[in-house]
Amino acid sequence: MDLLDVENIGYSIGPVHVIENITFTAMKNEFVSIIGPSGCGKSTLLRIIAGLIKPLRGEVLYNGMRVDKPNRDISFVFQDFALLPWLTNIENVKLGLSLFDISEEEKERKAKLLFKKMGLDGFEKAYPNMLSGGMKQRVGLARAIISDPKVLLMDEPFSSLDELTAEALRSDVINMLRSPDIPVSLVIMVTHNVEEAVELSNKVVILSERPSHVKEIKRIELKYPRNKRSKGFVREVDHIYKVLTE
Amino acid sequence: MFNYVLQLLIDTSFSWVRMFIALALSILLGLGIGIWAATSRRAEKVIIPIVDILQTLPILAFFPFVIYIIVAAIPGYIGINAAVIFLIITSMLWNIIFGVYESIKELPHEFIELTAMYGMGLKEKLSKIYIPASMPKVMGQSTLSWAIGLFYLVTSEIFSTSSKTYMVKHGIGVALTQLALSGNFREYIVGILIFIVFVILTRLLFFAPLEKYFNKHNMSNIQETRAIHFVHLIKSRLKLKIPKINIPINFALGKKRDTYSLSNEVSIKPKRRGYANLIYAALAILFVAAIVSNKTLFSYELSILVALLASFARVWFAFVIILLISVPLSVYLIFFSKRLSAYVLLFQIIASIPATIMLPLIVSLFIKMPFHSEAVAFSVYLLSGIWYVIFSMLSQKAYIPQSIYEVKKLFGIKGLQAWKKIYLYAIIPGLITGAVTGIAAEWNASIVAEYFTSSGIENGAVLTSVSIGIGKLLDLSLDNGNMVLMLLALLNFTIMIIIINRLIWKRLFNRIEDIYK
Repeated sequence: MDLLDVENIGYSIGPVHVIENITFTAMKNEFVSIIGPSGCGKSTLLRIIAGLIKPLRGEVLYNGMRVDKPNRDISFVFQDFALLPWLTNIENVKLGLSLFDISEEEKERKAKLLFKKMGLDGFEKAYPNMLSGGMKQRVGLARAIISDPKVLLMDEPFSSLDELTAEALRSDVINMLRSPDIPVSLVIMVTHNVEEAVELSNKVVILSERPSHVKEIKRIELKYPRNKRSKGFVREVDHIYKVLTE
Repeated sequence: MFNYVLQLLIDTSFSWVRMFIALALSILLGLGIGIWAATSRRAEKVIIPIVDILQTLPILAFFPFVIYIIVAAIPGYIGINAAVIFLIITSMLWNIIFGVYESIKELPHEFIELTAMYGMGLKEKLSKIYIPASMPKVMGQSTLSWAIGLFYLVTSEIFSTSSKTYMVKHGIGVALTQLALSGNFREYIVGILIFIVFVILTRLLFFAPLEKYFNKHNMSNIQETRAIHFVHLIKSRLKLKIPKINIPINFALGKKRDTYSLSNEVSIKPKRRGYANLIYAALAILFVAAIVSNKTLFSYELSILVALLASFARVWFAFVIILLISVPLSVYLIFFSKRLSAYVLLFQIIASIPATIMLPLIVSLFIKMPFHSEAVAFSVYLLSGIWYVIFSMLSQKAYIPQSIYEVKKLFGIKGLQAWKKIYLYAIIPGLITGAVTGIAAEWNASIVAEYFTSSGIENGAVLTSVSIGIGKLLDLSLDNGNMVLMLLALLNFTIMIIIINRLIWKRLFNRIEDIYK
């Protein structure tokens, strides 16, 4: 069953057509990467899916219902973490429960639990400024999943981190998504890193230059955990590069 | 014997209460207006240009007019106090509005997206995003705002003309001027000392803790971005291969490059310029027609123009001297001294003493000189403007990354080359901002610098009076109750300031914006 339906999305800023026509679908248990050249509107597209921006044409359907505003089931992780610097880490995470009608104690309890799970133990009362990039993004992730979302949208979540931290965080994210008590069943990640897309996803939506449309939707059926040096991996990466540059 | 000390303490306390009331109201209003302008496109289009103009107007020059109006509506001491507080608010409000506005506009787009994602209502948005984001900047310029406010306070407390004295009952401005004019110089000095003590205590017990509280999360990343751009600037000017400076990628840097931002995608030029210019031209024609057709108005206009010219010369002459003093001083303090913060503290305290309080002293200093009124005017103009320029330039230090000093040492850059390629660039943004605010401060002081008299104090003696000047003209027009002259003068004054803004400062800012962005 299609969880998410992106249909004929079009978007412009003033006279500039950023997105011409983008269509794709996503199902449960999929990890979708959206990849494309800079300026092709992939971040805009993600925000349209999140309900933050209204498309000029087309629509996004979640479970058959149109998305025109933020939805409790759909969470967002930002490239630059977007933590409020004047709130403590735990208060930042609790922000994720703003749309929920539960008590402060319950929010505090859930947040504390999550901190432990994500290796952030001890940093609850600290301010984001005291954390490294990787830790900040963990807090950002915690905020996104504390609301038990079904869909997780991530906007270039690793590109503000150095390679080592990014690598570590990637595998942690995969492990987290695998764990049974995380109800996330669909991830849509925007990235410009082809290797990352092939490492993590089983579906890659390849966009053209602006005004963008879908060039190709590539399924990747390699077994997890993926070996970056395997022939299959390299083949997929090469293919995607080819499509991007032709 | 110590009766007068007690009296001085009471007077200063009264003044301080006025200041705090004005500060509280300014912050409340500033937050409200600033947040509104930052979050509503339509409000922004109206509010920002208006505040922009108001910020550079010499509000103090309007004081004769303001006092006339308010006291007419609310007579007696309440009216006077209201006028004083109103005036102090106008000295603080614009800065606060801009501080709030800029803080919110500088917020990463994602924060606004957060409010949508998590369904925040107005109260939540205010308490979780807009107010915490604004307070650091608001508190950051509180020391300067306080000093500016004190200038307005002191000047407005004892604004008098030869026929009528508008005076508050208790106030340090009143007390000090009375003491000085009646020759009680010992008490006068004690009064100044008490004033300084109050300033220091306010800083220690009020502003410092508040500033700390609102900055406890310490947003140091923003400084790093400017530092990075500054390095690029220096790199290109020096045309040297500087080893890659490894600044850890962080929040702010990410924002500038890859982060999603709608306005980064495409820049759209607004096309409404044509109409504004037509309206200005029409108004100008109407104005000229009105002047020429009426003999009295015509003669008024002529004297106003001459007065403006004279004051203009004084203001800019004082400014040149200010530059000659402050540029070398600032360069020394930024690049060669290790005790910058100590000096800044000292300057802040000295700067809190408004030139107006020193007026009697200054007059007695120059009384034997020929052209002593010009000397007095020059001194007051200089003292009014210099702190803005100095503080503005010194604050540039925060934007100079450590690596610049290292580059200078490594490559042995000194002397004239250092001036041309490092020092001037380092301070130019501060110089320009300081120039705008400093010259505005000078214009503000014109009603005190050029003409000062005090009827209720001595025997209507005129303390100082230049031959021609806009400050003197405004004072005299209040004296004679000549509202037409006063309003016409204010109109000319305002137009002149706006024209100078557009022609000089805006252009300068645009030119350096590309380099310093």
